[in-house]
Amino acid sequence: MKPRNLSAAIVAAALAWPAIQPALADDEELKIGVVAAESGSFVSAGNTIVAAAKLATQQINDAGGIKIGGKTYKIKLYIRDNRTDVNVTIAAARELVDDIGVKAIWGTETHDFSVSMAKITGAAKVLQFSGNSSLGAVLDDKSVAPGGWLHYTFQSEPQEWQRSGSTAKGVLALLTPLMAHPPKHSVVFVGNDATGQYLSSHYVKALEAEGQQVDLVKYPPDTTDFSPLLTRIKGMNPDIVHFWYNGDSTLTAFPQALKLDVAPAYFLFGVDPGIYQQRQLKSDKPVTLSCVPVCWGSSPYPVVQDYFKKYFDLGASKGPQSSVSLLYYDYFFMYAKALEEVGSIDKPDAVVDAILKMSYQGVVSPVPLTFNAHHQVTFATEVCLVKPGTSDQFNCTVEQPPPAPPPGDTGG
Amino acid sequence: MEIFIQQLVNSLSVASVTILIGIGITLIFGLAGIVNFAHGEFLMVGGMITWFLVTSGLNFFLALVGAMIFVGVLGFIAERGLFRFTLEQPMNGFIMSIGVSVILQHVVIRVFNEVQKTIPDPIGKVWVVGGIDIIAMRAIVVLLTAVVVATTYFGISRSRYGIALRASIADQDTAALMGIPVRRYVTGVFVYGSVLAGLGGALMIALFPITPFTGSVVIIRGFAVSLIGGLGNVGGAVAGGLILGLVDGLSAGYGSPEWTDAYSLVVMIVILIVRPQGLLGGTLGPRAT
Repeated sequence: MKPRNLSAAIVAAALAWPAIQPALADDEELKIGVVAAESGSFVSAGNTIVAAAKLATQQINDAGGIKIGGKTYKIKLYIRDNRTDVNVTIAAARELVDDIGVKAIWGTETHDFSVSMAKITGAAKVLQFSGNSSLGAVLDDKSVAPGGWLHYTFQSEPQEWQRSGSTAKGVLALLTPLMAHPPKHSVVFVGNDATGQYLSSHYVKALEAEGQQVDLVKYPPDTTDFSPLLTRIKGMNPDIVHFWYNGDSTLTAFPQALKLDVAPAYFLFGVDPGIYQQRQLKSDKPVTLSCVPVCWGSSPYPVVQDYFKKYFDLGASKGPQSSVSLLYYDYFFMYAKALEEVGSIDKPDAVVDAILKMSYQGVVSPVPLTFNAHHQVTFATEVCLVKPGTSDQFNCTVEQPPPAPPPGDTGG
Repeated sequence: MEIFIQQLVNSLSVASVTILIGIGITLIFGLAGIVNFAHGEFLMVGGMITWFLVTSGLNFFLALVGAMIFVGVLGFIAERGLFRFTLEQPMNGFIMSIGVSVILQHVVIRVFNEVQKTIPDPIGKVWVVGGIDIIAMRAIVVLLTAVVVATTYFGISRSRYGIALRASIADQDTAALMGIPVRRYVTGVFVYGSVLAGLGGALMIALFPITPFTGSVVIIRGFAVSLIGGLGNVGGAVAGGLILGLVDGLSAGYGSPEWTDAYSLVVMIVILIVRPQGLLGGTLGPRAT
């Protein structure tokens, strides 16, 4: 094309643009931020948040968007990589809130980062959905009240005593019939970081409430050779060894435990049956697995199977933490529903109230999701038994959480 | 008693992997004068290449050779393309190596994804001797480590190249005047250390799953081993590895398990205060060549 013709084409396009634009701009834009680790050591968990957000956004937008006050809004995601760094997390939240003007933020993968972000979102009246059970330590009557710094923050993972209670019941229900005698002595093996300490403190109480005598053995984070520690545990003669909290560490330690014949039964927290099968793990001893919150490798629910098919079709990795995505997915739909009920994207207090009153049938649980007065959701954890001697035969159960924290557990 | 002996066996196994990492670092750090903080990532890349080849259907031991070659080439490119330009300023090389380690982590994430990788145990046997469990693959790792130690030790202390290498460390200018190609020797040491990292990565994934971040964990122990033993001293790396392995094994078995890493590092600090040159002595560390 000659320069003169090119100039003419550009001028013509510029003149025609106002006529074309209204058709493209029929839909309003709802800005939502996602802060997650797309690099750094938390990338396994961070990527699941991003993948869940993309899937939910695609589904909402493809279904026509969100009808709010006579307008149709399409979600536009603003995804920020926190690089597994709290300072980057804070900077990202600041940019999303102050510069971009998002109405809500999903993330992050860890307690400390989420709390840091809540200081920013709370002051700006931006809703925040974080899948950290340890937020229970700070979500209380005062902090979630109007004017409180966590009024706009929602904990999209159950309280830890609920998850621990649900898990402990499921593990013992599945293992006991396969053991020579009812299990009495459990060893909980957990990474000695802040999350491991917090989570295991609740799980120990949950096991004790089920009649177990429990020993807690903590290992340094990032341990790869577990053989000395596992030999120590073997010397304690446990009935069940519970590998708690970190799926990657569990998948490192468990094969070593099998070779050293540490215990007559095992429980692997956060290891999906899909991963167990993929790794071709095999044990003659009974093994139970749990997923946070439901398993992609062996879910009994068609709606969950359908979710993970779509999730993996988007290109997300099949990893131990893939199911963590379900701690984030449903809340896009809850938020959209709340906006529709309120009829405005600029009334965050009314949106908070609408979410607190809402009962929503999501994917993560067969029981409708509701938030309690402390902005915490409740649902059960799926536990699966691996048929001894196999890598791909599972029997799964979902035990509902206990109604109250066990003795000695202060809740949170 | 069985548990105690089992812990000693465990210690030997823990030590052998650490020694392999430590030898590569001590050679590159102590002899070539390059502080390569990306050495752990070289090991991780070796593990990832092994995983890729094994899952593509290759025999583990052939994959191991493939990983050694790949990481050796990576080391050659890194030395010739990057570290060669920092030999006069070791601190620049150190900072550069941190950048290289982060880049390698994320290249691996982009190529293979972030999910932990593992391969089936290539041997898959456990020998029970007098109530003690001896995992066959770990025994092979100990054996291979012994072979590497012996080869490296005699290569440096007895061979013509080793003598020339030591001469170039003692006095670079005189060595150069006598016709020793000092720069080529630096490259050679760097590549050899990288090949050992490839071997270490291949053996590591045969024992444990690895992630793109495994390198940043093992590198600390690698430097600890080389400093404890004495920079550039292969025997020192063996002594350092055995000490750390023993401390790890026995502290995990009989001390507070969550403090296992701390015990090892306290031992390192004490040794470096008492013998700054390392247990068996070595070069004076990184220097301009």
